[in-house]
Amino acid sequence: MRQILAMMRKEFKQIFRDRSMVAIIFLIPVIQLFILANAITLDVMHIKLLVADLDNSRVSREMIQAFSHTKRFDIVGMTRNLDGIRRDFRSWRAQMVLIIPPKFGRNLERRLNPRIQFDVDGVDGNTAGVALGYARGILTQFGETILQNPGWRASLQGVHLISMEERMWYNPELDSRQFIIPGIVVVLLTLLPMMLSSMSLVKEKETGTLEQLIVTPMKKYELILGKLIPFLILSYVELTLVMVIAIFFFHIAMNGSYFLLGELSFVYLFTTLGLGIFISTVTSSQQQAMFLSWFISIFIILMSGFFIPIENMPDVLQKLTYLNPMRYFMYIVRDIFQKGSGLKYLLQDAIPMTAYGVFVLSVSVLKFRKRVE
Amino acid sequence: MNLSFRRVWAITRKEFLHIIHDSRTLALVFLMPILQLILYGYALNLEIQRVDMAVIDYSRSTASRHLIETFNGSRFFRLFELNENPSQVGTLFKERKAKVAMVIPPDFARKIRKRFTTPVQFLVDASDANAATLIRNYCNRVILTYNINSGNKIQLPFNMGSTVFFNPNFTSAYFFVPGLIAMILIMISALLTSVTIARERETGTLEQILVSPIKPAEIMIGKVFPYIFLAFLDASMILAFGAFGFKIPFVGSLTLLLILSILYIILSLSLGLLISTVASSQQVAMMIAQTATVLPTIMLSGLIFPIASMPKWLQYLTYIIPARFYLLIVRGIVLKGSLLAELLTPIAVLVVMTVLFLIAAVWKFQINLEK
Amino acid sequence: MPAKISAKIEQLTRRFGKFVAVNRVSLEVYQGEIFGFLGANGAGKTTLIRMLSGLLTPSSGSATVAGFDVMRESEAVKKNIGYMSQRFSLYADLTVEENMEFYGGIYGLPNHAIQAWKNAFFEKVGLTPFVRRLTHDVPLGFKQRLALGCALIHNPPVLFLDEPTSGVDPEARREFWNLLYELADQGKTIFVTTHFMDEAEYCHRVAFMRLGNLVIYGTPTELKRKFNQTSMQDVFLKLSGSEEDKE
Repeated sequence: MRQILAMMRKEFKQIFRDRSMVAIIFLIPVIQLFILANAITLDVMHIKLLVADLDNSRVSREMIQAFSHTKRFDIVGMTRNLDGIRRDFRSWRAQMVLIIPPKFGRNLERRLNPRIQFDVDGVDGNTAGVALGYARGILTQFGETILQNPGWRASLQGVHLISMEERMWYNPELDSRQFIIPGIVVVLLTLLPMMLSSMSLVKEKETGTLEQLIVTPMKKYELILGKLIPFLILSYVELTLVMVIAIFFFHIAMNGSYFLLGELSFVYLFTTLGLGIFISTVTSSQQQAMFLSWFISIFIILMSGFFIPIENMPDVLQKLTYLNPMRYFMYIVRDIFQKGSGLKYLLQDAIPMTAYGVFVLSVSVLKFRKRVE
Repeated sequence: MNLSFRRVWAITRKEFLHIIHDSRTLALVFLMPILQLILYGYALNLEIQRVDMAVIDYSRSTASRHLIETFNGSRFFRLFELNENPSQVGTLFKERKAKVAMVIPPDFARKIRKRFTTPVQFLVDASDANAATLIRNYCNRVILTYNINSGNKIQLPFNMGSTVFFNPNFTSAYFFVPGLIAMILIMISALLTSVTIARERETGTLEQILVSPIKPAEIMIGKVFPYIFLAFLDASMILAFGAFGFKIPFVGSLTLLLILSILYIILSLSLGLLISTVASSQQVAMMIAQTATVLPTIMLSGLIFPIASMPKWLQYLTYIIPARFYLLIVRGIVLKGSLLAELLTPIAVLVVMTVLFLIAAVWKFQINLEK
Repeated sequence: MPAKISAKIEQLTRRFGKFVAVNRVSLEVYQGEIFGFLGANGAGKTTLIRMLSGLLTPSSGSATVAGFDVMRESEAVKKNIGYMSQRFSLYADLTVEENMEFYGGIYGLPNHAIQAWKNAFFEKVGLTPFVRRLTHDVPLGFKQRLALGCALIHNPPVLFLDEPTSGVDPEARREFWNLLYELADQGKTIFVTTHFMDEAEYCHRVAFMRLGNLVIYGTPTELKRKFNQTSMQDVFLKLSGSEEDKE
């Protein structure tokens, strides 16, 4: 016990003496939180729309107004030169062009069904698809208002439509931060413990102090516990810090139990700390350890459902995500935050995650030898 | 300046040997792009494969069955019937057995014959807001099909047509794969060079080289040359993969892309050089390079996430990220065949950035030498 | 010379793959002796010391240190030895006293014992002015003394010093050796590796190692007489020379 305490005291001293370390632990995550929370959004807004109004009638101007009234579109200019559209796309001036043909207003009056044309830059497939959908939606609404006019009513006879009445559960405003920020919590509880534990063990290896520790009668478990407990405590401090910012600054709804979150974080932290020890056993310098943990983290973050839903991936990749410990914790944290899920519903993730943690930690502890080879 | 090719070559050769002997760097240089190609090409798919939908049908009529059939027939949904009341849907969402539930009201069959519009309720698990948006769009599409198929002669007073340029099928790999070049180039040029120079300083070999008659410029050119070579190798690998693996067409001028890429590489190298001059050790160099180049390139350059949707303050921040501008160039040339004249703005920005970084880096390097 | 055996080494061998780093070394070392291992880099000195201190598992052979078997009772061995490596394995970002307190904690000593040892030792070796300095900023000679103090904190009967004087100036080296004599007089057994031939003269007995083999050992006087030389430096040259002749 005394040995573990001596180890812990030393770890804390080393961390707090190193200013850049303190910044890495407390400042950088907060900055990351602010940037990621705002950067990660797949909402499509402010689409650059170029308008070619070749008609210039009252109705065409009303139509253009329907586009200028939404945040979805930014009208970047008017053009009359249809041949220049390709060039406007190539120079990234516009993403979409709304073409209102000559005599549109007059042909509309004559019930000739004139044609509105959209030219879309399809390079960004996702944005283009969504933008086209929005544009059609706006025009459909516009058309329906015309149909409500007395002169057009007759055409609605015998039409019976289904309309969609949607209820968005847990996040009625569809604010993407509500699920990105809990995700960031997971990312931070992955990166920090992994980096800290791998780097600090490798540093002892590099400077030879690990050898010095090995010749002492200290037990292996005492050495590892003395190392891990400070990182565990720091991770909890970090968790609290990020949670406070999330809840009070970003107004993220926390619908579940803090206790459950804390408890399952404990299990997960053992996995990530274990990964850190593992990295330290296969590398010999801090640089290598950093490379490797960085490599691993990019991979597991992308495959965790953090910003690409796992459901979107091809089957093979979806199956691969079962090997990713972060996947489980991502579901757990998001469900606790948003759905307020209890343990009963989270067992499907908690059980494999715990198994994973026990496995990773025991493999790395076994691999970590109290001998030098 | 009177540069000796022989001295530059000596440095270059040595640097190549370092790289070849360092399996980890080699792995980073070649494995990373391949892994990322796979991830970005396949995993970065913004379409949901299939959504589980629970159906609560209170109507049990021909009309409601017809609606269910229409949903079943679409490729978006996997349906199952639920004989419980809508309050149970919460449990379903928590168990993650369904992401959306359709509730057809008891008077559905009667209303649909009389009214202009009849509402059908969709309960969506919006805990993933992006997925929820997609689900809503899919539901809308199916309902549209239903409305058309059930003999409605609804016609808007005008038609809508659309032409999609460059990528008619909205394939997401078109967008992401060439974009990778921006990231790989900066990663290799900035990250690796900053680390390699910091390493020379740490081990004292930089001093050793400096006492030889070699000029600082020769060192720099000699050192960065292998990385330019590697960067080009990676870029061609990505383009080849894109063309053959993902069938991405190369529309524009390869020469133009090459020339502008050199500009971007020089920019990245000056950034790397600058980082190495302020970093005291390899580790610090790596930390700075990571936070200053790789992360912003992924998050804030428009590589994945649309800049226009970010808040204003963050959008201003993206203006200092070189990749933001290079992405316009590489995507423009590869996918759209953009011409030089059409890319003047991003090119001008890159030139200005390059000059600034280069001045800062050389200036700082000189100061360090005199110390 | 007291006859109490402090370390008994029999046929001790260590291989790394095909390379034999230490080849069937047998030795007996007595309590209170300062025993030196000499030899060029890669001769196997460090490997031998690492096996004796429980850092490396021997491939074959056996050894007891302070009465415990290094293979089977390595944990008990560790309680009875102090170890100091050529890198003076200290935490550069901890202060001088924090390093000492840390190692004391690691050996499970109560706080008052640590404080008592620390104060006495620092006073004795002149570290007192540096106690609150970061170890990083302390001159090398003082780092060396601090490392020795850390290795001695649990009062071990056997001490292993791997190139303890590398990089330290002659003045500091001489003082360091005075400390070692004092320790030997208290009955501690000290193993030391070195490549300074003048230091070989200070040892009670020395052993020459070459390519993993123990070539010869004895007191410096014995060895000098045997090879008919006036200094250990010459003995060493003679030994290396005769080896080369054989090749």
